[in-house]
Amino acid sequence: MSEPVSGKPTKGEPMIKVENLWYKYPRTKKYVLEDISFTVEKGEFVALMGANGAGKTTLCQCLNGVIPNSQGGKVKGRVVVGGLDTQETPISKLAQKVGMVLEDPETQLFTTKVKNEVAFGPENLAIDPDEIMKRIAWALKVVRLEGYEERPPTALSGGQKQRLAIAAALAMKPEIMVLDEPTSQLDPIGTLEVFSVIQDLKEEYGMTIVMATHKSEEIAQFADKVLMLHEGRLVKFAPPREVFQDLELMKLTWTHLPQISELILFLRNNGISLKDFAILKDEGVAMVKEALAGKAGRVAS
Amino acid sequence: MSVVQYVEGNSLLHRLDPRAKIIMLTILTIIIFIVENFLMIGAILLTILLLWWSARLPMKTLASYFKFLTGLFVFIIVIQGLFYSGEVILVQPLIPRWVPLIGGLGKISLDGALFGILISARIICLICLLPLVTMTTPIHFFALGLTKMGLSYQIAYTMTTALNTIPVLQNEASVVMDAQKLRAFRVFEEGSFVQKLKAYPALAVPLVIGAMRRAQLMGVAMDSRAFGALKRRTYVEDIIMKPQDYAVLAVFAVYCAAVLVGNFML
Repeated sequence: MSEPVSGKPTKGEPMIKVENLWYKYPRTKKYVLEDISFTVEKGEFVALMGANGAGKTTLCQCLNGVIPNSQGGKVKGRVVVGGLDTQETPISKLAQKVGMVLEDPETQLFTTKVKNEVAFGPENLAIDPDEIMKRIAWALKVVRLEGYEERPPTALSGGQKQRLAIAAALAMKPEIMVLDEPTSQLDPIGTLEVFSVIQDLKEEYGMTIVMATHKSEEIAQFADKVLMLHEGRLVKFAPPREVFQDLELMKLTWTHLPQISELILFLRNNGISLKDFAILKDEGVAMVKEALAGKAGRVAS
Repeated sequence: MSVVQYVEGNSLLHRLDPRAKIIMLTILTIIIFIVENFLMIGAILLTILLLWWSARLPMKTLASYFKFLTGLFVFIIVIQGLFYSGEVILVQPLIPRWVPLIGGLGKISLDGALFGILISARIICLICLLPLVTMTTPIHFFALGLTKMGLSYQIAYTMTTALNTIPVLQNEASVVMDAQKLRAFRVFEEGSFVQKLKAYPALAVPLVIGAMRRAQLMGVAMDSRAFGALKRRTYVEDIIMKPQDYAVLAVFAVYCAAVLVGNFML
């Protein structure tokens, strides 16, 4: 009960495989995604970055089959998640592979009780009510909302709403969780709550996570890789450390560096020699301390 | 307080099976259209008001319906009086003789006015009746009731979502109006009727576009959770017709019979 159903992809197959994906919405001329290819292994946390309009939401919806199954539009290329081709598999089946959390906490909650909200997905899959009750208990425990079963979702805080949305997706026992800017409307506490739940999903339940987000600090801390989109094209797919050091790319995509990285750059530009680059607070602080100590030593001697 | 928002409670109406409530709602709606006897329509209105009171639904809302509809009722009664010919004339002429051209025209007949009152009574009955169900039934039980009565769950869900959307739109409307007020737009508070009419597009456009955007996002969220994927779905919270529901339906049947007999006999 404590783990999502194990996946069926053939051994060695990545969890997500996107091959030369092109997509344009119905009634538009321009492709919003152009020739995107990448793979994500089981248990990886990939952050989708890029300016607004770069195609993050569209790519998210391609991963759970909403595109093209219900949105229409024109697709070229292939998206395979958990061994299923999204263009050939009905959404109901994909929903059991890929859970989806959207940006707006309001529009994705549409029932009158927390319990019913979590039950909504499994009910649609005609799962036995007893089993659904077990799943509700489990999913609410994972997102730390036990005891909220009878509350109306409208009465929850922003962070709680997003965690409820995660629980609602979890109840369908997916192996992949796709989150489309889940924290953009949350305050810092709500953001932290959501990220810590995501971290649990990855570490305790081995879930594969794809999250569109602008929050560099959290990406530096939690993500294994960053997939950078720019005007519908994949411009970089690498670990955060590598991506954040590519200053031209940061400029091109209007991406904020983590604050500690900004500090390191500022110090470097002002003549303090630092050996390395940092994206995490602790390593950055240690590095700066060392450099300053060295400098102080030199000055003293 | 919205018309359709569920009001927490534990009255008999709250505890009834949604199917029983939907059946009674439907039948009573038909009866309201059939009944022509003033005593009987009065009895129905009284019943509705009593139920409203017994379920501890907000009396303020009820009063606001009456206040809101008074103008409409006066209009209906005058129009019916004007165009419904009858023997007994109440007012003649409607327009004083000294008015040029149309002076001396128009007469209000008693039958017409009475018919107008009947229509008004029907309208107020219908308007007060629906919240008796929607305010005492959580929306998912309402949908479940419809589904168990044979409606496909997609359609039941569409209907309940529509009901659910009303308070959301009310909310959004007040946000838009606040935004307009912040830019010193005061027509909705102190403008004339024509000015208000002209101001409505500025309110309606963001409202409609917002609703469409919302609907689309909600569609994505529902798709992502396999809504409509299978013909049948399960429910964690089931509804079962209890003896109490059948008893209430039996009492209701007697009540309807009495009203109909009263209507045709009196």
